[in-house]
Amino acid sequence: MSTAVQLEGITKRFPGGVLANDDVDLTVEHGTVHALLGENGAGKTTLMNVLYGLYEPTAGTVRLDGDAVSFETPQDAIQRGVGMIHQHFTLVRPMTVLENVALGWEPVKYGGLTIDEATIEEELRELSERYGFGISEHIHTPVEELSVGTQQRVEIVKTLYRGADVFIFDEPTAVLTPQESEELFGVFDELIDQGKTLIFITHKLNEALTVADRITVLRDGRTVETFDTEGATTQELARKMVGRDVLLRVEGRERDQGDPRLVVDSLSVRTNQGLPAVDGVDLTVRGGEIFGVAGVDGNGQTELVEAVTGLRDVESGTVAFDGTDVTGLSRRERMNRGLAYIPGERQEQALVMAFDLTQNAVLGSQHREEFRDGRQIDWERVRAHTAEIIDTYDVRPPDPTVLARSLSGGNQQKFVVGREFLRDPDIVVAAHPTRGVDVGSMEFIHEQLIEMSERGAAVLLVSASLDEVTSLADRIGVMYDGQFVDVVEPDAVTKTELGLLMAGQHPDEPDVCREER
Amino acid sequence: MRERIEWLFGVVLRFSAAERVLVSLSAVVFAIFVGGVVVLVAGYAASCESAALYILGAPVCYNPVEVYLVMLEGSFGDSFSLAATLQWTTLLLFTGLSFAIPYRAGLFNIGAQGQFILGSLATTVTLLWLADLAPSGLAGTLVLVPVGLFAGTLVGALYGLLPGYLKVRFEMNEVITTLLLSFIAADLAFVAVDRFFTTDDIQGTVTDRIPEEATFSPLVFPSSTDFSLPVFVFALVVVAGCYWLLMRTAVGYDIRAMGAQPKAAVFGGASQRFTTLFSMTAAGAVAGLGGAIYVMMILGRWQTGTPPLGFDGIAVSILAGNNPAGLLPSGLLFGALESGGRAIQLRLGVPSELIEVLRGIIILLVATPELFRLLGAHLNRRGIIDVDTGGSD
Repeated sequence: MSTAVQLEGITKRFPGGVLANDDVDLTVEHGTVHALLGENGAGKTTLMNVLYGLYEPTAGTVRLDGDAVSFETPQDAIQRGVGMIHQHFTLVRPMTVLENVALGWEPVKYGGLTIDEATIEEELRELSERYGFGISEHIHTPVEELSVGTQQRVEIVKTLYRGADVFIFDEPTAVLTPQESEELFGVFDELIDQGKTLIFITHKLNEALTVADRITVLRDGRTVETFDTEGATTQELARKMVGRDVLLRVEGRERDQGDPRLVVDSLSVRTNQGLPAVDGVDLTVRGGEIFGVAGVDGNGQTELVEAVTGLRDVESGTVAFDGTDVTGLSRRERMNRGLAYIPGERQEQALVMAFDLTQNAVLGSQHREEFRDGRQIDWERVRAHTAEIIDTYDVRPPDPTVLARSLSGGNQQKFVVGREFLRDPDIVVAAHPTRGVDVGSMEFIHEQLIEMSERGAAVLLVSASLDEVTSLADRIGVMYDGQFVDVVEPDAVTKTELGLLMAGQHPDEPDVCREER
Repeated sequence: MRERIEWLFGVVLRFSAAERVLVSLSAVVFAIFVGGVVVLVAGYAASCESAALYILGAPVCYNPVEVYLVMLEGSFGDSFSLAATLQWTTLLLFTGLSFAIPYRAGLFNIGAQGQFILGSLATTVTLLWLADLAPSGLAGTLVLVPVGLFAGTLVGALYGLLPGYLKVRFEMNEVITTLLLSFIAADLAFVAVDRFFTTDDIQGTVTDRIPEEATFSPLVFPSSTDFSLPVFVFALVVVAGCYWLLMRTAVGYDIRAMGAQPKAAVFGGASQRFTTLFSMTAAGAVAGLGGAIYVMMILGRWQTGTPPLGFDGIAVSILAGNNPAGLLPSGLLFGALESGGRAIQLRLGVPSELIEVLRGIIILLVATPELFRLLGAHLNRRGIIDVDTGGSD
């Protein structure tokens, strides 16, 4: 087997001194799937951006089929047959599949006066047929009318159309349902059969093990090891990724459940665009209970959480904490009533990036009596509080004067979790609390969520990760199109059933057609 | 290319406070040099009776060294010059604050000029109305001064609140509304005075003089100057108060968080509605207060043709890094340029246009690093560029 891609001694130092890649070697054989596994911030995406021509390496050589190459821009990379499928699609949503695929690479007629659509269409059908993409019937459909999985296939076709031989997939399953992920892996097989080479960035251990032929683990910008997938176990992989043993699944626990603490009654909420997002949801979380909300992103979870936490006005219905209607209360008043919220967008929401940790430690409590000294904020007490968060939640570096933005994703999240939980909350809302967090911090955050519930708090946990929801929650509400398709107990369903529910299909009614949205 | 741009912004954004001061100082030196060259060239092109110096035998009308010496002397040379500088500085502290406070909340108040003008008019009209009612002597001062200051502050505050309200209620962009409201204020004041308050004493759109009890007399400084030291101290106290408000109180925290990262501020319980209304009202209030002082300390009446103090305040604030703590040095520079510029014109016959050019060059060069920093921070916040700013804000 010959070498398709060879990265030798790649070092990437960003201005400001951050060393994202430190002497990384990577060799990918022709016609294989090679997984690039690592925690967030391990340097996976940076490395691939070097290969794709987005970054110029500080040192090191990129070789394609043995030739040293140097890409100034992604266009150069595409010319040499390297294509990248980004996590966030680069499609123009109102334009059709055909238009998107051809964009920038249009064959023309009449000396450039018109685009030769017939040629594109023919080529597109041929590609779709050969790889079994099943997008032939969508060629003239605007991309925004397609499901996320189909959109991703359009991205892949687009890259194929540009003549790529090497495909880089940046965390492609993050936006997919389990079924869609399975379909994607089917596409992987087709691509391999046609002699393509795939590099697959992920931090999900199981996916790497299922899909890849070889795995390279990155940690702190360095190569830890490259090995064949055969015979590798998840435990072993996790240890290589984190550098120590990790508890991957939370053990079962005894659950005492108290009175209803968080009650949501026929709640309807609209998106910023005024479209219905949450459509008459009922929900009760008792003290000591963890209620999981599963679903593919964009089915109303965000709006539900924002309505509960006081960040979004409701259309109709009520939210009550401990029997008191809080629907009309401000965010601040809800926090004063014992609400803690760990948002999914921690960099946008939970921390002021340009503030240091001390200033961030008081975010949300700045008006509270305990941090007030006459008319001003008592910064002495805030500093003590910051030290407590840093100590208790092992935030690194343990320096209260460091800016929030210079912390790693996991440490930012630990700081946020620490700040919210040290309020001693009665109601905890956590949205994707471990998204983008390394395995080590993930374990810790899970323990903390359980501890909160054991102390009698009601926990509402929204997550796109089925593993997380099934291992932590006492009950799971599966959200689809703004409603709960069903509320189930984690032990009573299989992953496949959950996946079907997430796609809006009730297992009891298997014949319901799944419409493309 | 992109990497180079990000590198450049990165360098600027990672400056420490000391480095920023150093950059500003070197910019002043560089600006003086560039300005000197411009003065030389202009002096070569101009024709005059007696040349100030000869370069390679060619007569040059203005000697740059002399220009700068006169400028320095005219701004700090004696108590008259110093009074002229500090008088301008005092007013710029208020209008500078008027830009700095909303900036911290993420808003651009371009309308200090209008708030200043309406504040000055409100003070004048109120004091004229009270002139006959108030007692004379010290008792009169004790009544008229607070009332005069309050009237200007109140009207300025309302005129700042207006664009704030338009923003929260109708999502109207404050840059546009404040700018347009400035022009409206100037014309409104002109018409009001022209129609209702014009004096019979002299020609023009001018009101009667406000009562003597309501004006600030110079203390320490010569009695012929229009500068009062206690008022300057008062201005510094207001600046310190605003600094305290922004940096130490919970409301200031809300404002700064909103300016730095609105989503995070809202997450932390701050209300965008409140921070917008509050900071715009505060901005209008300080600008209006500046207007009141302009009338009570300098003019003694309202007259048309208010100098662009409100607009200069924007530059003063940007140069100060939009931090109240930096307003004094920045305001001093602008005050000195104003008084020094007048001295050059008077003593050396340098045309006022050239002085404007000179002043423009200095302001441009001194403010550019800060402006560039603001632009970089803005682009970074919007995610248009990705720069790790390391330790500094």
